[in-house]
Amino acid sequence: MKQMFIPSLLALAAAGICCAQVNKPSNPLGDSPQVAEAGRLIYNRTCTGCHGPDGSEGDRAPALDANRRYFRVSEAAIFDVVKNGIPGTVMPSSGLPDTDVWKTVAFIRNVRATASDLVVPGNVENGMTVFTGAGRCAHCHMIRGQGGVLGPDLSSIGAQVNLKKLHETLTKERPAPNGYRPVTVTTLRGEMVSGVARNADAFSLQVLSEAGKLHLFLTTELSKVVYAEHSLMPHNYDKVLNAEQYRDLVAMLAVQARTKVKALLQGENEVGR
Amino acid sequence: MMKPGVIVPAFCALQFFCVPLTAQVTDQQLREANSANWLHYNGSYDGRRHSTLDQVSTTTIDALVPKWVYHVPGATHLETVPIVVDGVMYVTQPNEVYAIDARTGRQIWDYHRVPARQKGPNRGVAVWKDKVYVTTPDAYLIALSAAAGNVIWETKLAEANDGYWSPAAPLVVNGKILAGIAPGDHGLNGFLDAYDATTGERLWRFNPIPKPGEPGSETWAGDSWKHAGGDTWLTGSYDPELNLLYWGIGNPAPDFNGDVRLGDNLYTESVVALDLDTGRMKWYFQFTPHDTMDWDAVEIPILVDAPYQGKMRKLMAHADRNGFYYLLDRVTGKFLEGTPFVHHLNWASGLTPQGRPIRIPGIEPSLQGTVVCPSAIGAANWQSPAYSPATGLFYVVAQEGCGLANKSTETFRPGGFQYRATGDVDLRDDSWKVYVRALDLTTGKLRWESERIGSNGFGGGLLSTAGGLLFSGELNGEFAALDSKTGKTLWHFNTGQQITSQPVTYAVSGKQYVAIATASDIVSFGLFEPKGK
Repeated sequence: MKQMFIPSLLALAAAGICCAQVNKPSNPLGDSPQVAEAGRLIYNRTCTGCHGPDGSEGDRAPALDANRRYFRVSEAAIFDVVKNGIPGTVMPSSGLPDTDVWKTVAFIRNVRATASDLVVPGNVENGMTVFTGAGRCAHCHMIRGQGGVLGPDLSSIGAQVNLKKLHETLTKERPAPNGYRPVTVTTLRGEMVSGVARNADAFSLQVLSEAGKLHLFLTTELSKVVYAEHSLMPHNYDKVLNAEQYRDLVAMLAVQARTKVKALLQGENEVGR
Repeated sequence: MMKPGVIVPAFCALQFFCVPLTAQVTDQQLREANSANWLHYNGSYDGRRHSTLDQVSTTTIDALVPKWVYHVPGATHLETVPIVVDGVMYVTQPNEVYAIDARTGRQIWDYHRVPARQKGPNRGVAVWKDKVYVTTPDAYLIALSAAAGNVIWETKLAEANDGYWSPAAPLVVNGKILAGIAPGDHGLNGFLDAYDATTGERLWRFNPIPKPGEPGSETWAGDSWKHAGGDTWLTGSYDPELNLLYWGIGNPAPDFNGDVRLGDNLYTESVVALDLDTGRMKWYFQFTPHDTMDWDAVEIPILVDAPYQGKMRKLMAHADRNGFYYLLDRVTGKFLEGTPFVHHLNWASGLTPQGRPIRIPGIEPSLQGTVVCPSAIGAANWQSPAYSPATGLFYVVAQEGCGLANKSTETFRPGGFQYRATGDVDLRDDSWKVYVRALDLTTGKLRWESERIGSNGFGGGLLSTAGGLLFSGELNGEFAALDSKTGKTLWHFNTGQQITSQPVTYAVSGKQYVAIATASDIVSFGLFEPKGK
């Protein structure tokens, strides 16, 4: 039946808006990874019939990981929908005890959260020590004015990527992002400059060198341009750092956010756009 | 567990690649203002906007052609002055900075302030060592890395929710950043701040509105000093020998009704000479005591050493929005000369020997409306003037026109509301015209003029070069080069967009460029080079 495809949780945001009240109660269980994980288990045995496992696409209702609007509504609004359903739609009451509903709420919120939205375990202060010390990240990356400029500024990295991507960036080889492709050029005079290509076209090349200096070339001034195959970003931090260092580094990166979205979320539909 | 040393394969490359940034712009470079670079809003500390570059000249001007265009995303009304350092150009619009390859127009990096308050314009950056400085619509001063655009630090100038914002390009002198604020039209008292360029720490603040008991406070009736204006929305000049800053101060508030602020309203409508190290005022000169026409005196002070009455003098030249051209002794602030540079001037019959305007009674905003010339937008405004040591001429964009000025009663409201007590309506009849005028430096006498035909507003400012040229960006979109001796138009290019910025010139790899911001683009010009040469 066509009606069966009415996106039940899709109406969460609308339900949240219509019933909006500022400062509704937040999740009494918190939103730690443990609570979210407990919620995931409950979710996967309760909600997957419509919404799919782990929030991926289901047959009868939208995937919860497809849109950040599920993060925009308050925890109280999600609690209301999970506990009571959405009248007039196929979204039923879950029938779960309140404790399980709150765990499920924590999971739903975490599905689309960026790293800075989450409570990531680890010692942030020690993570900064790893960043500037053993990890040597600060040689190329900057956080709030401290560090190098060859790699992207990480002052807001926690608000830009989710936790999964943060881990992957540190542990899996990824292509260099635009503006950071390693390149070595040789000028017609035989001088060599290595760095990252901040921009390039058929006629010119703008290189940020290893010395942190900009070199701006016309291609007619160059005899050779060689792009490196691999990004300069190491991808073995889980191996070269010990478990505690790695955990703390991730925790520190996760909290880097110029705008704390979660802190701003006092009512409904206010943030996360 | 692997030890850090085992990371060698990954970090070898990193170590090789990552060494500290080298310094870019030194204090000495900023003082000398090497002609290949354009390091300050007005090119040099003396504010002359005169470059010694002469490749583009009266004899080669026919070969001047566009070299590249950079579109600033989303821009509709750029007022940025490009700053150029060793082939890298920095331009702005509110909340945004772009670094561009000055030879090709290709972007190197961009900076976007988030969350951003939208309010414009922004008139450009300042540079020092490896940093670029910009102020923002939410009244912050931001330091960015010149190489990559990373935020190094940011510091709050004032409370944006009160209505403060900052459009002016900062000035850096000896490791101090001078940053001004707007707007006086909202009844907010202005200031000029000095910050440590390395740390962002505030070093001093000059308050142009004296508090009760301070010198000058007697020029404010009652509590009118509390919501008095006097902002600093344009960049000032600096004399390294005297170690003095020269900064123009904006209008008193409410703008058009002076009844509630009887007195001269110091130090609004003045130029103040401030000690760079302490911010203490050495002298001031007020152009328009008790202004009621919003004639901010922020127009750029130009510093020239020249003979005056047989003696070499340290001079300051200033074409004020009130319609008078002034020559001061910049050591003492003594008034030397003053003469109108527009014909439409009906509010004063002249200046006293001390430089105080001789007002004509009744020529001021009224309940029923009074024709006041110049209009509130002024005979001059933020369009930068220029001075050529070769011709000895002071060049200014002058607007002829009057306004029907009204006043009303208005109560100050906190929160950034306007506090103007009405304004004026431009009387745009046939005589409303815009000119580029060349004035004799010491007498202010008109040497030549060139009308900006087809422009019904100021447009952009001026640039003088050793090539004998005066570049002029017009509101109608024409970018023109005039003979700086005669005012004859030698070259023009229709950019197709309004121009409301000041031109600059620079050189890369021995080739001179001339650049200007149009409404949405940066356009850079250079001499045509036939293929194979």
